[in-house]
Amino acid sequence: MPKEEVTTSPGSDVTWEVRANKRHFHRHQRRRSFLCFRWGRYADNVVRSFKYSPLTFLPLTLYEQFQRAANLYFLLIVVMQCVPIISSIPWYTTIIPLFIVLSVRGIKDLANDLARRRSDTQINRRCCDVLISQSIHSMACLPSCLSFSQSQWKDVCVGDVLRIHKDQIIPADLLLLCSSEPHSLCYVETMDIDGETNLKYRQALAATHTEMTSDPVEPILDAFDGVVFCEEPNSRLYSFRGELHWRGERHHLDCGQILLRGTVLRNTDTAYGMAVYTGSDTKILRNVGRHRIKMTQIERVLNKVVIGIVLVLLLVSLLLAIGSGVFMGAVVPQIEVLSVIMSARSAVYTAFLTFWSYVILLSPAMPMSLYITFEMIHVIHSLFIGWDVEMRGGKEDSVPAQARNTSLNEELGQVGHLLSDKTGTLTQNHLLFRQCCIAGDVYGDTSVSAEETETLNLSWNPFSCGGLHLSDQRLVDRLRGQQCPDSRQFLTALALCHTVMAEWREGAPVYQAASPDEEALVGAARELGWVFLSRTRDSLTINELGLKRHYHLLSILDFTSQRRRMSVLVREPEGGLKLYCKGADLVILERLQKDCPHLESTERALDLFAQSSLRTLCIAERSVPEAKWKEWSQTLHQAVLATCDREDILERLYDDMESDLKLLGVTAIEDRLQNGVPQTILMLRQAGLKVWMLTGDKKETAVNIGYSCKLVDPDSRLLEGDELRELLQSPDEEVTFSKSSVAKLLCLAKEMAWDRSALVLTGPELAEFNNQPEWGARFMSIAGLCQSVLCCRVTPGQKADVVALIRKHTDSITMAIGDGANDVNMIKTAHIGVGLAGVEGGQAVLNADYTLAQFSFLQRLLLVHGRWSYRRISVFLHYFLYKTSSFALVHIWFGFFNGFSAQSLYENWFIVLYTVFYTSTPVQCLAIFEQDVSVESSLRWPDLYKVGLRHELFNPLLLAFTLLYAIYTSLVLFFVPLGVFHNSDMDFQTMAVTVNIASVFSATTEIVLLTRHWTKWNVIGIFVSVCMFFMCTLITQSRKFFEMSPVDYYFPGVAQNAFASPVVWLTSLLTACTAVLPSFTSHVLNIILNNPSRHRVHSVQREPVEMQQSGFTRGHSHRRSSYAMSQGRGLGRLITSGASLRSTAPPVDRGCLDDGPQGMTGLTQKPTRDDAPNNFT
Amino acid sequence: MPKKELETANRPDNTAFTQQRLPAWQPMLSAGIVIPGFVLIGLAFIGIGVALFITSRNITVLEMDYTGVETSSDCFKCSAGTIPNCLCNLYFTLNDTFPGQVYFYYGLTNYFQSHRKFGVSVDAYQLSGDTYYFTNPLNVCAPYQFVNGSIPIVPCGLSANSMFNDTFKLYQLVNVSKPVPLDGRGIAWWSDYNVKYRNPTTTPLKNAFNGTIKPPCWPKPAYELDLTDPSNNGLVNQDFLVWMRRAALPNFRKLYRRITGPDYASGLPPGNYTIEIAYNYPTMIFNGRKKVVLSNVSWMGGKNDFLGVAYLVVGSLCVVMSIVMLIVYATFKFPEDG
Repeated sequence: MPKEEVTTSPGSDVTWEVRANKRHFHRHQRRRSFLCFRWGRYADNVVRSFKYSPLTFLPLTLYEQFQRAANLYFLLIVVMQCVPIISSIPWYTTIIPLFIVLSVRGIKDLANDLARRRSDTQINRRCCDVLISQSIHSMACLPSCLSFSQSQWKDVCVGDVLRIHKDQIIPADLLLLCSSEPHSLCYVETMDIDGETNLKYRQALAATHTEMTSDPVEPILDAFDGVVFCEEPNSRLYSFRGELHWRGERHHLDCGQILLRGTVLRNTDTAYGMAVYTGSDTKILRNVGRHRIKMTQIERVLNKVVIGIVLVLLLVSLLLAIGSGVFMGAVVPQIEVLSVIMSARSAVYTAFLTFWSYVILLSPAMPMSLYITFEMIHVIHSLFIGWDVEMRGGKEDSVPAQARNTSLNEELGQVGHLLSDKTGTLTQNHLLFRQCCIAGDVYGDTSVSAEETETLNLSWNPFSCGGLHLSDQRLVDRLRGQQCPDSRQFLTALALCHTVMAEWREGAPVYQAASPDEEALVGAARELGWVFLSRTRDSLTINELGLKRHYHLLSILDFTSQRRRMSVLVREPEGGLKLYCKGADLVILERLQKDCPHLESTERALDLFAQSSLRTLCIAERSVPEAKWKEWSQTLHQAVLATCDREDILERLYDDMESDLKLLGVTAIEDRLQNGVPQTILMLRQAGLKVWMLTGDKKETAVNIGYSCKLVDPDSRLLEGDELRELLQSPDEEVTFSKSSVAKLLCLAKEMAWDRSALVLTGPELAEFNNQPEWGARFMSIAGLCQSVLCCRVTPGQKADVVALIRKHTDSITMAIGDGANDVNMIKTAHIGVGLAGVEGGQAVLNADYTLAQFSFLQRLLLVHGRWSYRRISVFLHYFLYKTSSFALVHIWFGFFNGFSAQSLYENWFIVLYTVFYTSTPVQCLAIFEQDVSVESSLRWPDLYKVGLRHELFNPLLLAFTLLYAIYTSLVLFFVPLGVFHNSDMDFQTMAVTVNIASVFSATTEIVLLTRHWTKWNVIGIFVSVCMFFMCTLITQSRKFFEMSPVDYYFPGVAQNAFASPVVWLTSLLTACTAVLPSFTSHVLNIILNNPSRHRVHSVQREPVEMQQSGFTRGHSHRRSSYAMSQGRGLGRLITSGASLRSTAPPVDRGCLDDGPQGMTGLTQKPTRDDAPNNFT
Repeated sequence: MPKKELETANRPDNTAFTQQRLPAWQPMLSAGIVIPGFVLIGLAFIGIGVALFITSRNITVLEMDYTGVETSSDCFKCSAGTIPNCLCNLYFTLNDTFPGQVYFYYGLTNYFQSHRKFGVSVDAYQLSGDTYYFTNPLNVCAPYQFVNGSIPIVPCGLSANSMFNDTFKLYQLVNVSKPVPLDGRGIAWWSDYNVKYRNPTTTPLKNAFNGTIKPPCWPKPAYELDLTDPSNNGLVNQDFLVWMRRAALPNFRKLYRRITGPDYASGLPPGNYTIEIAYNYPTMIFNGRKKVVLSNVSWMGGKNDFLGVAYLVVGSLCVVMSIVMLIVYATFKFPEDG
């Protein structure tokens, strides 16, 4: 700890000043905001994820809603329709639907916001202990009256001193002052922040520790008047720079002293800390990201198309208005009767009015009901997702899938990139000791799943707590029968060689490990009778089949990522010296003694385990001669004191000791995947999705899981680190980074196929992207060629950055799936966020658009629901635009025959009811029931999903075709009747009814052509809507209605007359048939041309999706065996220093802590990669 | 048992609908079905087309322009519009019998009765006989709402004011001019006559019109349109109703009379005829033409070649297209199968 006199002011970048116990100082600068203005410095500790306040709700919701071009357009139409002089259609036809649309959306948003508010309140009301500084009030207060009082999170203020109890969630970013543990250590679980499940330790400064460990601690804490200068609030989770100025000294601070908000205190009774960042300044909240309104791509395209259509309509109106002006100027003055009316107004003014009249008249081309129906269909599709019994998970299938955001369904059919969290999403976060190989014999059987493993009778073992998923009576017999010394040594090694801490709870040891792998191994040893009881700084106590033995711990040769192994050197109770070593197969196998027995069978076992997706660790031992130890320990002692090259010397020393090993066996641990994960990922990959994994966890674990869950093929190659950097840097700047140049580059660099490789990217590398903006594009183009990308050690903010990167450089739809608070940002950033309703289930689910119970339900969500939704909604939108445009555009053509006077060809009631009653039910049925192929086929041929990826069903080009077709139809709808009515004695109203019949017929025929999946509802829908047309027409044109209101029902008797006329029917029939002829022809051509291939899809037995069976000839190189380690320093050096051991723990000079080798971490997991799927089937 | 209730609430019925497994029919159409189908549709259309075409051909139409553009025309003198109550004659000769029930139409061209102002400028309440609106016509009638700003016009509005007011008399020239009886009853729609247009119940009818004035262009007020027949007078005058039923397109004809009488009910015999026209309605100023049309009708109404031809065209198009499809099908399909 460097200590200096406070003489200089703190560095320029450490400008954040926090004074302990100075509430009034910080309160004064509390950050406040009003509307968009903000002032003040320190945020309060209140979470505000809601966006509306009572005051801002109305303006904000209206602002949001009128961002939709359509809503604005409708508002314009409503306003114009209220002006009588231009109103060609009555005003109520638009304002009522508009009001409904706005209020339904608004209420939905409000409900969501209220839910967020509720969850905020829940968090803000959590309790914690705050030391209310008494010194402000009275100096006379006795120390005894100082105490921590319980207050709520929202009342925590910067500078407050807090007391955190075991298993409490930390309410703000705290500077650890001291804790109840020796050396003021404390352990935190950071699962919510980075997804790692192992414990991290934090340690208070020596200065604060030594001052504050007396009892009672309150007066000292109360008197604490240190000032922290540190960085401004930022989102970097793993870094903190600052200084504590206290009692005239400056102490450097780093993230080792910081307890982050959202982490959980474990294994530590109490910890005291001073709040440094609160509320929105805390690192986790800085990582949360903004809540944004999500809009699907289809909606965006639709929005653009709407703008396009509106512009075209305005242009057409303008042209028609000009026509009207010309007509007025040139023709009307000659028509006596008309000129009288027009004389008052100039031609220009008339044209101006006509323009607006035409805008109104053509507005049904973009009807409000499109949006209402669209919304309704979204809701129904969402309900289908919730109803699906195949997507229920959890206990007794009680957790249904849920679409929290109902407007993204069709996007589920177009997802191009799936970004998945690892822990809790792909894996169950459950490590099971499944198999082992001792002296060449393999025990355990992975062909049965862990749940089905029959439990061994371990009643002879008083320490057994269950949880062993290795069932092999032979092993137990051999262990108990004393026949096999190797197996006993193996178990002894498991019980001794680790850095696990034992804690006694209710008479049984509970193991706390920095690595879940070690916990699993030690736990397995316990079940089999080798019970690790306790450790002190220099001893280990284990119970071997009821016999308690003390081992003297001489040395821990700790784990580092280079060494990929760890060893313990112990003196047996009998006096012998033993080295137990465990590590990755490669490093252990090369250190074995010559002619080591069972080597060949062990190698076979390693391959076998690799095929079963198990992580392996080799266990070895060595008897160390006394003389060797003496010599070695002396050298070690010198090395520790050495100042330069200490690392290298240590490394060599360790290497020297860990040689000439005798192989005991191999452990195989299953990192349990969630149900069906590999199949799901494989299927999604076949469907054309790029599946990426983003995890805060270590690279080794990530890569391992990547292989075991089929993200990466067994034989593919990983591009990582420097290789990747080289690739990003190498291409010259000018050359555009085309696929071919990448491929060329790659061929030059390494002989490999791109599609047989995957990228591994770590958080720090990702951070470099910020400085190298062009790397992003390059990275994405490389990633586009690769199988997958694995991002490890990424912060929540970086997860979101990756999503943003994809969104920026590709136009593919991104979907993020995760289960924890660390995934929230990514879930919010992605086009679609999916939260897994896990055990904890909090934040991710609250912020997600969809919640699922299991990762494997993605199959159904995407390939079935998503694909159907995309198809249904695409067809729906195309058809809807077709039917409305074709019917409204008729007015353009009619304009040429009525002097461009904005005369409507239809009765008002027809305009109102056409989209609502006459043509809506069939398309609604289609949008609800349509299935091009069944569920089974959808899952069987994931290729079908690619239609959505390529945007084949809804893109601007297709829409343009649809609109052209609509224009054609409108031409036919007008000009065929024109031919009949021209120069005849039939009147305008009869023609109106004729065109009505024709347009309803053509719209209905079109939907009949589009429907492929006929349920009874489709038939009923069509029948009902056509009947509705005839009935409504007869009713609104009936005598009764006319007598009620002659102005509103001004077509009395027309329908009866027209329906009795054969010419009307023949004309309508011809018009409708001609109108749909192109569509009919293209359908028929489609059938003729595509039928052979379609037929093949349906009849020929194609290879269904199956898990690839990997060959049994896997070479050694395919085994992946490496240690995964905790990111920070491990527990190894703490053990040797004794710092963590409450019982013994003579205070050790802190200098010795600092002297320890840098990477002394002791945790081990050994992954082995594998991919045979037999454990899933 | 709130928990159980919750569970059942969360668990919807496992119905075919919620699971999207409703029984359904997915037609698997093949070329073998669609091409013959296409041919059949084409043939049906051709059939209808032929029938319509033949029917239309069998309808006799005699259309004569009497605008008086040409100087040779008898109506030339009237076309300038300078002579009040100008009468002119239109002569024509029938070589063959004009068979069947003959209808007498007048026709106008380039007349934009479909202009929105015609449609808007009508007071439906007034026309349905509501006397309140006799004195208070709707604003939409403006500028034919009031005369001098205070005297209401009945019937108000542009549409009524512009009523066609030429009258025709048809004579067969056999030695002397023998008037051909024309029947003006029942030429308007039943619904117009009985529902849409009603006279006020006031008797005599004239009293209902007290305080109102005739439309400026009308030669006589509405209650004097047909003094001989009270059921054809006022707002239910058949000629008025026919005029008020707006035409859809600028060229149109409207029914004027049916030719009746024992000698003419089943057709006009060959011979010379003349139509005596009271030429009142000005059309020359807007380049319009006035015509009289004599026509008989069939089940499909008046003569209409367009419909039959259109059916024939679309029908043949279908047949041609199905042949093209057959070729396409043969080209793409058989090599594969073979």
